[in-house]
Amino acid sequence: MSETQKSIPIGKLLRAENSQFVAGCRVRELETPALGALVKVTLEDQSQIYGLITNILINDDSLVRQLVSGVSIPTEYTADNRYNRNLPVEIHVLTVGYAQNGQISHRLPPRPPLSLDELHLCDTKELCDFTSLNEQAYLRHILRLIDRPVEEILAAHLRQAKAAHDSVGDTGWYGQACQKLITLLRDDYLRLTTVLDVLTDLERE
Amino acid sequence: MENGTPIPQNPEIGFVIGGGLEADLDVRLTVPPQEVQEGAFVVIDSNNWRFYGLVTDLRLAAIDEQYANQLNSQRFAPHLAEYLNKQTLFTNLAVMPVLMKDRGPDPASPGYWGWRLNNMDDPAPMPVKTIPDHHAPVKLAGKADIADIFGEEDNKTIFRVGSTREQGHPVCLNLDKFVQRSSGIFGTTGSGKSFLARMILAGLIHADHASTLIFDMHNEYGPDTSSSDTGQAVPGLKGKFGSKVQLVGLGSGAKFGKLIADIDLEISHRDIKVEDILQLAQILNLKETTATTLDKLENDFHENWFNAFMQMNVGGVIENEEGKTEPAPDSVAFWAHQAGIHPGAAEALRSKLGRLFNRPYLIDAPASDGLQAIIDTLQSGRHVVLSFGKNDSELDYLLVTNLITRKIRDAWEQSTENYHSGRNKAEPRPLVVVVEEAHKLLNREMASQTIFSTIAREMRKYYVTLLIIDQRPSQIYDEVMSQLGTRISGSLGDEDDINAVLSGLPGRGGLRGMLAKLQPKEEVLMLGWGVPMPIPIRSRRYDQQFWIDLLGEKSKPKSINDINKGLGMDDDSD
Repeated sequence: MSETQKSIPIGKLLRAENSQFVAGCRVRELETPALGALVKVTLEDQSQIYGLITNILINDDSLVRQLVSGVSIPTEYTADNRYNRNLPVEIHVLTVGYAQNGQISHRLPPRPPLSLDELHLCDTKELCDFTSLNEQAYLRHILRLIDRPVEEILAAHLRQAKAAHDSVGDTGWYGQACQKLITLLRDDYLRLTTVLDVLTDLERE
Repeated sequence: MENGTPIPQNPEIGFVIGGGLEADLDVRLTVPPQEVQEGAFVVIDSNNWRFYGLVTDLRLAAIDEQYANQLNSQRFAPHLAEYLNKQTLFTNLAVMPVLMKDRGPDPASPGYWGWRLNNMDDPAPMPVKTIPDHHAPVKLAGKADIADIFGEEDNKTIFRVGSTREQGHPVCLNLDKFVQRSSGIFGTTGSGKSFLARMILAGLIHADHASTLIFDMHNEYGPDTSSSDTGQAVPGLKGKFGSKVQLVGLGSGAKFGKLIADIDLEISHRDIKVEDILQLAQILNLKETTATTLDKLENDFHENWFNAFMQMNVGGVIENEEGKTEPAPDSVAFWAHQAGIHPGAAEALRSKLGRLFNRPYLIDAPASDGLQAIIDTLQSGRHVVLSFGKNDSELDYLLVTNLITRKIRDAWEQSTENYHSGRNKAEPRPLVVVVEEAHKLLNREMASQTIFSTIAREMRKYYVTLLIIDQRPSQIYDEVMSQLGTRISGSLGDEDDINAVLSGLPGRGGLRGMLAKLQPKEEVLMLGWGVPMPIPIRSRRYDQQFWIDLLGEKSKPKSINDINKGLGMDDDSD
């Protein structure tokens, strides 16, 4: 990702707490964010909060409900609803760490980001820097997700992170991350074997 | 190693995760299970203490059994399966803690010198009384650890009998301690017990702290022989130790290959006591009335009873003045009538003793006192190998061993009494009586009658102990087995034999498995009072190198050239 792309926000914060936050974006901006991607919010004091996209939510409204229940929808209605509606697409982010004075930590930030703070995708270097630290300790945050397809989020994240690390010649990262996951999940047989099934599928694609 | 990297002396193999003194300690293995064998000698450091223990079992385990119940390599990508197996499947060791030693604080710590002042000599290992902490690291014992416990070979009393099976570190036996109590060497045929016995006897003779009397039933200890398995020459003790070892042949003119006996053992009739005969009751099928008849004989003829009885004939009659037949004066019946014994019983006994009367080594008046010569030899610090030669029946073995051992008991009891009363300043020379096929003398029926059970039980204080060599320890009387200080056992197939070797020892459960799984050749388990802790070892080889290590280069067989040079007939000379 180039510097120009990095500077373009993919959304603005709607609401936040220490462990997670939600950003909103327009439907037309939805091409960039992806499930499992590492994103960041830069605060006023230049510290950064990192998170993983765990869900992208497109809400309905009464107009959509009316349109859906109609017999046929003209193409221009569909396009108008998608690109001009005022209801944002919600990007749910799980907080996985922060950086202060250039020091990255895999603990939760002292304070959450504020509403309307800009959400940015991390570039390859940032992704590699963040995920290399501290023996992938940030992965533990993903495991506390409730009512989310954890194995799919993990698989999506690991695929993206592996590609980034491979691109800079760090081919050992993926193996270390898998070992860390096994360490974190080995007391939960069903969950771990499901995650490994997904990773095995991913590798066989 | 080819690149010169030193192999670590005692690599860490795991850490303590549970267990106790009664049940063994549980240790999580962090290396592949194939790197550790049952019986491995391990050390565990915990705070100021070092614990020494034996691996008694290895068990496969899993964080969750479900991980073990499926082939992960088939379900997941190979590298994921490998990571998963590494983290969820493991091996646990059961370690029997045996000894512990106070190592004191870290030498760099402030408390070290205070401790050292109170412990100028390193504290000796003691039986284990507590346990190490959780997660204490477990290592395979290094050479120094093994030397700490079993001593360092000194080519004298600390005698190397073998090496640890994993890393080949030398394991020694303290021969001084070995001879303080009776001992046993056991193993099935072909398990190498005769070689091991030869080796230990060579060590004892070389150390020269005790005399040995070897009842050599199969003529294999004294003269050179050849191995029944490989056909290779096997040096005997006589050839290696020369005049220090005296060969005694039973009967006159006994030969051992090219060797002639140093002492011909012919036993005077006068040396045979009534008790010697009673000890043969089973083999001669003697009746309960025998004791009375023998007592009467001894009463009437004193020391000469055996010869007198031998001279009597059975069934001899004469006519008296009235023309009636009556027993002849030289008949058994005549004597029986006079002595008030039933003539039939006396004649039956005379007939049964006929097997003894024709033994060629039982002589009325031998040319020399062979029995006394044996005792003199042993008391002078030399060693005796008594070969039975052609007289190798069970009857010969029982009679002669009992008779000699009875004489020895009398002699050593006397020497000890003289020593304790101050009449004799020199302490009696310790004596080890080596008995092969010991179950013939020490089985349940015989043990109460023979002198050997007395030696095993009581003669320690008179400086006489037994070294029993046998392949059926279960046939040996329990009371004798429980008296054995040191037991060295090769492979044993029979469950009863295994139980017999372990009788009276703590931690039998773990040791039983170890004993049952010894390699059929060259592996032995040392245990009992004479060794600080039980340990399975690969026994030392009884070969040329053994003799060079023990006696130096002089024991090396000389080539023809060497002999010629020694005689001044150097083939290079003009």
